[in-house]
Amino acid sequence: MDPVLADRLQFAFTVMFHYLFPIGTMGLAPFVAAYTWKAAYGGDAEATRIARFLTGLFAINFAAGVVTGIPMEFQFGTNWASFARRSGAVVGQPLAMESMFAFFLESIFLGVLLYRRREAPAPFAAWSAVLVGAGSWLSGYFVIATEAWMQHPVGYSIAAGGTIVLADVWAVLTSSFLGWQFVHVLTGALVAGSFLVGGIGAYYVLARRDEVVGRRLVRAGAIAALAFSALAVFPTGDANGRNVTAVQPIKLAAMEGLFASRRGAPLAIIGMPDVAGGRLIDPIYVPRLLSFLAYGNFEADVKGLDAYERDLWPPVEVTYYSYRLMVGLGTIFVGVAAIAVALLALGRLWRARWALWLLMMSMPFPYVANEAGWVVTEVGRQPWIIYGLMRTGVANSPTVGSGETIFTLMGFLGMYCILGMLVVYLVLRAIATGPQEDAT
Amino acid sequence: MSVAGFVVVAFMLTMYVMLDGYDLGVGAIVPLIARSDRERAAAMAAIGPFWNGNEVWLIAAGAALFALFPFAYAASFSGFYLPFVVILWLLMFRGIAMELREHFASELWHQFWDAAFCASSALLAFIFGIALGNLLRGLPLDRAGYFQGTFAFLLNPYALAVGFFAVATLALHGATFAAMRIEGAPGQRALRVVRSGWWLVLVLYAGVTALTLAMHAPQRAWLPLLPALSLIALAALAWKARRGEAAAAFAASLSFIATLLAAAAATIFPYLLPAFPASRGGISIFDAAPPASALTCALIVNAGGIALVGIYGSIVWRQMAGKVRVE
Repeated sequence: MDPVLADRLQFAFTVMFHYLFPIGTMGLAPFVAAYTWKAAYGGDAEATRIARFLTGLFAINFAAGVVTGIPMEFQFGTNWASFARRSGAVVGQPLAMESMFAFFLESIFLGVLLYRRREAPAPFAAWSAVLVGAGSWLSGYFVIATEAWMQHPVGYSIAAGGTIVLADVWAVLTSSFLGWQFVHVLTGALVAGSFLVGGIGAYYVLARRDEVVGRRLVRAGAIAALAFSALAVFPTGDANGRNVTAVQPIKLAAMEGLFASRRGAPLAIIGMPDVAGGRLIDPIYVPRLLSFLAYGNFEADVKGLDAYERDLWPPVEVTYYSYRLMVGLGTIFVGVAAIAVALLALGRLWRARWALWLLMMSMPFPYVANEAGWVVTEVGRQPWIIYGLMRTGVANSPTVGSGETIFTLMGFLGMYCILGMLVVYLVLRAIATGPQEDAT
Repeated sequence: MSVAGFVVVAFMLTMYVMLDGYDLGVGAIVPLIARSDRERAAAMAAIGPFWNGNEVWLIAAGAALFALFPFAYAASFSGFYLPFVVILWLLMFRGIAMELREHFASELWHQFWDAAFCASSALLAFIFGIALGNLLRGLPLDRAGYFQGTFAFLLNPYALAVGFFAVATLALHGATFAAMRIEGAPGQRALRVVRSGWWLVLVLYAGVTALTLAMHAPQRAWLPLLPALSLIALAALAWKARRGEAAAAFAASLSFIATLLAAAAATIFPYLLPAFPASRGGISIFDAAPPASALTCALIVNAGGIALVGIYGSIVWRQMAGKVRVE
């Protein structure tokens, strides 16, 4: 096998598996903080039970996230040595900031939260919960700062010998590309966290157990889900799309399956890309909408894939389908959350079992949408590892062969298979045990 | 500037060994200090709130090396591909063991994860020791700075000796921590382990120091001072343990490790990856360093971060003070 392909498969697998857990921690963080705060300062019994229960779920996600996260940082050196050599002076900075400013915060104060769980939450626990949440969001910010720089390099210069040199760290940390990507990723995780909270609550109400807690979780989860899934579409999703249009127009063409450049480009709602034939099979179009969404003008000229050399095309099918998966699911989330909130406002949600079922069954889908979004982002920027500066094909480690990488990939597959089953089991068991009076 | 970068990376790795070292050490000596299921649970609870934060020092050291010396980071991580992945798997396995042990009230389940925890802790200490030994001895590097050796090269007698020394030192370190943190029988057994175990550490220390001095005649006149300080720290450790002052013994053990690693760092300075044989140079901080802008940024980040971690640590330590009881 081509060594670069083996490295890419390993990175794709380990990062997609790892990302399942940051979705959980970033998405649950505000709920954990809010309920722990309420329990410490407001003092009602249910809030204490909910706080403990959600902290337990958070902790499972955090532990699995740490365990699967360490290999991510190491892989830059083990599998992508040429990339690390060339760009480490820039890419290493936000990663160093992540461990120094975010990761320590999150892990040290989570230790406090977990090992004092038997006592009633006190102000110290409330502050710890807020710091843990802040740590998980900051961690996401610095990791995405690294990633966004690879998508849209700024604040650098190129030294003799091709090494990429840091010129302006503020430009790296404050680019508008990074800003919109981070808030979009964060709202994506918050959608997942909200549906998790609402879905677990719906399960308790449907199962006719812990109903008081269940109703509170449904109320909080459904309202948050509506707010965040709306924010995921607009303005964060929209602004992110405009940034992609501006700096990576070829990714936009692949996302939309637009093979031929044209003025007044239509938006394909559905259709299957035929890359060899250079067309969409069986499409349904909305005339001129793509021009409007990309440039705010129905007559704007949108560049298609034909405007670029063939060796600059990303894998079109994967990018196209993942994008449709993300957008389609995102739209459905707005609908499901809107139904739940409307019934809640009318006071009819607790009798509408079908709507509670809908809420409960929605739980896994935000995970799919989040992962699909990342596939669009990362597959869609190929063949570049650093956009416009360094190709993925020359970024791997010269001393590591595909045999070694395939061997270690198999090891990761086996380890993560067991880890995944254990996490699913632990989460289901935590839900089945429920928010207990004296959870340990 | 590059020297400051070297100091930061060496400092972070030393912090990692001093802090994660005690929880690895507790793992390695669990069978010696805990006899029953509840005692083993207490041993794990003693490190429960800390190990995760301690492990972050390794991640932080990796990130600092990446940002400060990308050439050395790329060459070492890819050159030792399989050993690094094995370290990763062991770290993951150990983390899983600690997270999962308490989730079932089954004795067999506990025994399996206790054994996994002990074996992976000891093996990690051994591999880190071998890595340090090879770093001191030098590595065959090609022109671009990539490792060109074999496993057989890495498993040389000197590196293996450092590996055994590392296991013994961290086990002693873990024992002083356990004596300080756990009440009742396990804590007392840990104290006994310290009292009888420090001889073994002393013998290994003498052997490894002699071998190292034979290999590298000290480049700087003050260099032999550091191993002398370690010897004093080890003596203080034994003395305090004999008087039953576990906290003081733990502090002495921290200084023992810190001075040993300072000696190791001073020995290889200014190289990050010294070549084998030593006459061929290696990757030094001057050819692996990025330009001043990146160094400044990374140094500020790391210095600020270290200060913050000190603040968190002191807050949390005050909150979590007190001993762990066997329940």
